[in-house]
Amino acid sequence: MSEEKPYRRLESQDLLQQIAFRHGLEAMAASEEGRLAWVTSGFPVEIPLAMDVFPTYPEQAGAIIGASKIGPEVCGFGEDLGYSQELCSYARSSIGSTDRPEDVSMGALPTPQALLACNNICGTVLKWYDAISEMTGAPVHLLDTPPLEGEQLPHHRAYVRRGVDRLVEFLADTFNTRLEDEEATRVANLSSQAIRLWTKVLETCVNKPSPLNCADRFLTMAPVVSSRGMEHCVEFYEALLAEVEGRVKEGIGAIRNEKTRLLWDNIPPWFILRFFNQLAARGVVFPADTYTHAWSGAVEGSDTASILDGVSEVYSDVYLNKGLEAKVDKMCELIKDYDLDGFVMFSVRSCKRYSLGQLVSKEMVTERTGVPGVVIEGDMVDSRLFSEAQVQTRVDALLEMFV
Amino acid sequence: MSYPILIEQSNQILRELVDAGQRVLGYIYPHIPHEIVMAHGLTPSLVRTNRTTVGAYEDSLQTFSCSLTRNLFSQRVNGSFPLLAGIVFSANTCDALQNVADVWRLRFPEDNVIRLTYPVGDAGDSAAQFLAKEIKAFSDALESLTGTAFQKDAFIEAASILEGIRSGLQLLYSARLVNPSLIPYKTLSELVGDFMTAPTKTVLTRIENKWAEVLDGLRKQKQDGVVLKIRAALLSQDIGDIDFASDSAVRIAVIGGMVEPTTIADLIVNIPGMKPNTVVLDILTFGFRTVFTPPAETEGDLFENAAQSILGAPSEPTQEGLPRRMRFLKDILTNLSIGGLVVCEQSFCDPDEFEAPSTERAASEVGVPTVRLPIDPELSDRARLEGRLQTFLETLDTS
Repeated sequence: MSEEKPYRRLESQDLLQQIAFRHGLEAMAASEEGRLAWVTSGFPVEIPLAMDVFPTYPEQAGAIIGASKIGPEVCGFGEDLGYSQELCSYARSSIGSTDRPEDVSMGALPTPQALLACNNICGTVLKWYDAISEMTGAPVHLLDTPPLEGEQLPHHRAYVRRGVDRLVEFLADTFNTRLEDEEATRVANLSSQAIRLWTKVLETCVNKPSPLNCADRFLTMAPVVSSRGMEHCVEFYEALLAEVEGRVKEGIGAIRNEKTRLLWDNIPPWFILRFFNQLAARGVVFPADTYTHAWSGAVEGSDTASILDGVSEVYSDVYLNKGLEAKVDKMCELIKDYDLDGFVMFSVRSCKRYSLGQLVSKEMVTERTGVPGVVIEGDMVDSRLFSEAQVQTRVDALLEMFV
Repeated sequence: MSYPILIEQSNQILRELVDAGQRVLGYIYPHIPHEIVMAHGLTPSLVRTNRTTVGAYEDSLQTFSCSLTRNLFSQRVNGSFPLLAGIVFSANTCDALQNVADVWRLRFPEDNVIRLTYPVGDAGDSAAQFLAKEIKAFSDALESLTGTAFQKDAFIEAASILEGIRSGLQLLYSARLVNPSLIPYKTLSELVGDFMTAPTKTVLTRIENKWAEVLDGLRKQKQDGVVLKIRAALLSQDIGDIDFASDSAVRIAVIGGMVEPTTIADLIVNIPGMKPNTVVLDILTFGFRTVFTPPAETEGDLFENAAQSILGAPSEPTQEGLPRRMRFLKDILTNLSIGGLVVCEQSFCDPDEFEAPSTERAASEVGVPTVRLPIDPELSDRARLEGRLQTFLETLDTS
């Protein structure tokens, strides 16, 4: 008889695989039809979708490359072209897989006709897409969303709003298309529904035991990143919500023996998601994380103008586009709301916007909440930059505090 | 003058200003609205890295923060930072400066940290309007800091000084392209360093005197006309009509981000085969890209004028517009008879490191060999950097 695993598999994962497969096929078809855009994860995808431009996500492709454990090899292809190992591994793997798609078993994307970047998640995306543009000839269009300090000021909103108008103009010129009221509203509504369902899914994790662990959320976040605004995305989250609510009702946790509840901060190391399962065997669950909670802003609106106004606000007001204080506030809020015992901050060498400041915020979060935390260092795709033994030692030290 | 001596001189200039009752505002990103700062009675001064600083940042920053920010942070921790009324961090230029400003504020709450947010997008009027509003907010923050309201007269005087300084330096940059023997790169880089330490009338006079001396030499060789033409072309970032052939053996340009020209001048001084005239141009952020900023107009909305001036500077790797930058680079290499390109990359600097491969390819397309120089403010790998440069020079000599 095989040993019972310490964690429970979601049935919705089967549906997830179907969605991923379908998205890949649609992206290939769109590329062949000349209407494929690569977009950054924080891009207002509702606009290209409503204009019949199909989006696909290099960051997600990077996650797949990482999870397939080919990160070092594919990043190496990028390094062979002169891109430093010090640069973002999403970017390096994307550049590498674009240069040598035939040598990449998983994660190479179809050729884009446009590259749509929004710098609300980091400044790297522009540089990365510039590099891809040189390789593919696809033009880069940047939606510039300067970081917020506190509230969004009127001139900031006006600048981003003008940028959104320019985006519509760019798509219209590049793809010979138009933004129609009816389609804009339909897509925005679908996107909002998906976001709301996803938010409800996340909120179920306040329960004890938590119905989802970190790895579950990292996997099931894929549609809200890649397919929000599409009908099947809503269908997926309806199914997922039903499953997790069922778990809550029956008192079934994501792991079998929940003892310690922790917060995860940052992108995960995609190549070693078993890290979370190993901790599950020790009774450690992660009911909340800052990464999957980043997709929470719903674009509301009854016509094109109000939707574009909403886009200007929602896509500026994202987690990574705010200062350190706001990030600390969010972490403290999650620790309180989800009744967490401590936190793990993953210092990702690839991601300066997410990671620089963690050494200070760790102190602040502990001071404000009274719970301990630990900073571990590594990378999300490039396993050469991750020392499992070192990470284990640090996490062990944190867990000893809960004995 | 070696780099440590330059630092000492810069600090001396600062000390004299402080002793004379001047308040100094430090800045890191060089495209600062100097005129606005001076209109509040402050002296804008570049906060310099220090080569002798040892790491003291580790409690607050990870090792993958860029080497510039690590060095500045370490200086602050060590207490070796100059006495400043405040320090300006740029926002939306790169992720390191964005986040380190927050860390700085939290670690050193007694410091007056001021943010100035720049547009990244090449968005024409809307970018200028956004930056104008940011500059107005910056001015308001300076008023709170100093208790001195924005003075229009002081702005106009500052604009005049800065126009004189930049104009003089632009002419000297252009003169070196035509006849580098008239002014060593080291001298030019020191004058640029003085400008960034304190854009004062004294510095203006020094630059004007040097230009007068160089102009004399140019006139004797009937080269003054072409220098003016090159300067105008560089200022308009359109050098398609310039066709300048040089009879010099090897002419090198240096490109990169947040590296000071004085660092390059200091690095190359001891390299065998590197003649005083070999490096004819830098396209560095702290050098060419700041010097070739158009003047701020003094009529109309002064905040908008300051924004237009900043946005009129040659494009930075932190901004949208890689294809335009590469076209400009190719024109420079081709039309100004550049035979080799040194590509500097600040350690863990995303804009530098992302742009370096494109720069190499652009140079290669016009047949100009390149060498990449991974560099940090401490020049911690100096022997290897010198070795790379020496080998590169030898390659050019034999090609």
